[in-house]
Amino acid sequence: MSTEQSTTDFPTTEELSGPLLTVKDLRTTFSTPRGDLTAVDGVSLELGRGETLGIVGESGSGKTVLSRSIMGLLPRSKTTQTGSILFEGTEIVGAEDAVLRDIWGAKIAMVFQDPMTSLNPVVRIQRQITESLRLHTSMDKAEAKATAISLLGQVGIPSPAERVRAYPFQLSGGMRQRVTIAIALACSPRLLLADEPTTGLDVTVQAQILDLLSSLQAERHMAVILVTHDLGVVATRTDRIAVMYAGHIVEMASTKRLFASMAMPYTQALLRSTPRISDPSHTRLTAIDGRPPDLINPPTGCAFAPRCTYATDQCRTEAPPLRTAPEDPTHLFACWNPLQTGHAGSVTTSKGEN
Amino acid sequence: MAPEPTPLLSVKDLTVDFKKGRQVVQAVAGISFDVYEGETLGLVGESGCGKSTTGRAIVRIEEPTSGEVSVAGTALTGLRRNDLRRARTSIQMIFQDPVSSLNPRRRVKDIVAEPLDIWGTETGDQRVATVREMLEAVGLDPDVAGDRFPREFSGGQCQRISIARALVMKPKVLICDEMVSALDVSVQAQILNLVEDLKAKYGLTLVFIAHDLAVVKNVSDRVAVMYLGRLCEVAPSDDLYALPAHPYTQALLTAVVEPDPEKATAHVTLTGEPPSPINPPSGCRFRTRCPKAQEQCALEVPELREIAPRHQVACHFPTLRP
Repeated sequence: MSTEQSTTDFPTTEELSGPLLTVKDLRTTFSTPRGDLTAVDGVSLELGRGETLGIVGESGSGKTVLSRSIMGLLPRSKTTQTGSILFEGTEIVGAEDAVLRDIWGAKIAMVFQDPMTSLNPVVRIQRQITESLRLHTSMDKAEAKATAISLLGQVGIPSPAERVRAYPFQLSGGMRQRVTIAIALACSPRLLLADEPTTGLDVTVQAQILDLLSSLQAERHMAVILVTHDLGVVATRTDRIAVMYAGHIVEMASTKRLFASMAMPYTQALLRSTPRISDPSHTRLTAIDGRPPDLINPPTGCAFAPRCTYATDQCRTEAPPLRTAPEDPTHLFACWNPLQTGHAGSVTTSKGEN
Repeated sequence: MAPEPTPLLSVKDLTVDFKKGRQVVQAVAGISFDVYEGETLGLVGESGCGKSTTGRAIVRIEEPTSGEVSVAGTALTGLRRNDLRRARTSIQMIFQDPVSSLNPRRRVKDIVAEPLDIWGTETGDQRVATVREMLEAVGLDPDVAGDRFPREFSGGQCQRISIARALVMKPKVLICDEMVSALDVSVQAQILNLVEDLKAKYGLTLVFIAHDLAVVKNVSDRVAVMYLGRLCEVAPSDDLYALPAHPYTQALLTAVVEPDPEKATAHVTLTGEPPSPINPPSGCRFRTRCPKAQEQCALEVPELREIAPRHQVACHFPTLRP
């Protein structure tokens, strides 16, 4: 670990140009007793510096596996990865532990869903924050402690100088999630992966944590990948959104564009099945029939075809490629029968029989 | 939906205490509400507010410390063990985790038939027919599903099985405790629609406990908001969401994220988190986080009072309608 470089180095101009993260044709396969399961199937994406990308999908869509692949966190045994993940010129797929160690915490950090299990229960939070500072930077103990206290203050923990001595169990769920954010931010990473960071939290706390993440991101010019199942969480907090289904990115566009003129029936179905507080009570929800496909035996053709109301024979036999919308080259979607532009986003709520 | 003079489920001054060493946590601190026949009452609040404890205390899974719960005129509180068991056939509960609330070693048809077997109400062909009817009602194919085990089903399907089991005794009241919060949005919508259909089909009365304000609004006729063991506000759903009178309800609603990028995110977020129920604030329990709190709030407990027809609020300084 002697080759380790200080993270406080100012990035060179060469580093500053071009995307921060480039994922090309990533395929992550797990071997299971029932057969090979391709959790991420040919995903490509780019992320600019300071950009926020939302990855939305239901359970089993591959969103978490994708985020863990980017971090290089998946177990080596029983996992096959092909494709490429370039982070500031460093290849993550197949990288050595030593390479990943320099990246973890220092350049890419992660906030997990459950703050209780991602914190060490028998270690004071001070040491959990200073651990990466001591490893990746040349700070001494006192400097690291001062930084830890300042970080706790930045994430909105009252009386940080005392709380730094606390154990995780002495804090509430929202406070614990703030601590995991402080840990993730300790070494000023360039990319923060937040995997369902607010899912277990109450609405008022969720709003606080999301606000905190956006303000910290703006201050630090940090890129964020926000992984969630909740379209509401990404709607106002991201620059771009990628929608995943059955291991594929099925639609990707700027947040504004996606909500205004979504092309993929799955995105629309997801949005329509979400209850909203602006709808009157007893509004009939447009549920998506059936359930996501078995990824060990994925259907031929479009993976969403069996549940899609617009599906044709072509959809059931031929997998649609990811293509660009004619009016907007940054809007990608994988569908043979895309929704009409302009109508797609207008969610009619008086759909049902009720 | 129109309120009848006599409520089907009536909760009066319910309190539930938990003892932890010498400390007493008052999880439910004296709440009263009525649910009328055919109505769905939503119970919302953040974690630790006592909403689940309330649901459990109604069916006496959790023994109430004081207060009275009655269903169709019969007081459940105070019933002896055997009478309570009999009474519980008319009041059923559905839990959050559909997988762990089903016995993994039993076949679906036996899980659904278990209440019938226990009470011996239906046997032989009639029992089989009832189970088939219930499975069909919840959208499962009895020929395919009946002989399988819970592990062969997804979370949404397991929740359907739980519903079938709860309905097989033809209960009057169904208590749903976070029944959709473990499910994906697309499946959640299926289950919510199913609940609405079954409610109409079997004339059910529901207490729907959840933390998701949008979900609660979708299924409920009236909504009750809880904070730290007390009710803050009770009102018909559309009124509550359009004209929230209690500062806590207002704060909750502004914190909700909507799947719409055009919606401004400027929320008056509540600072801090709920205080510990071991040592709740004096007077109004919300006053420590309330932007409107004044001296009176620390001194007097605000009682639930009517500020508009069917709209009750427990606040000294509610936002009144224009």
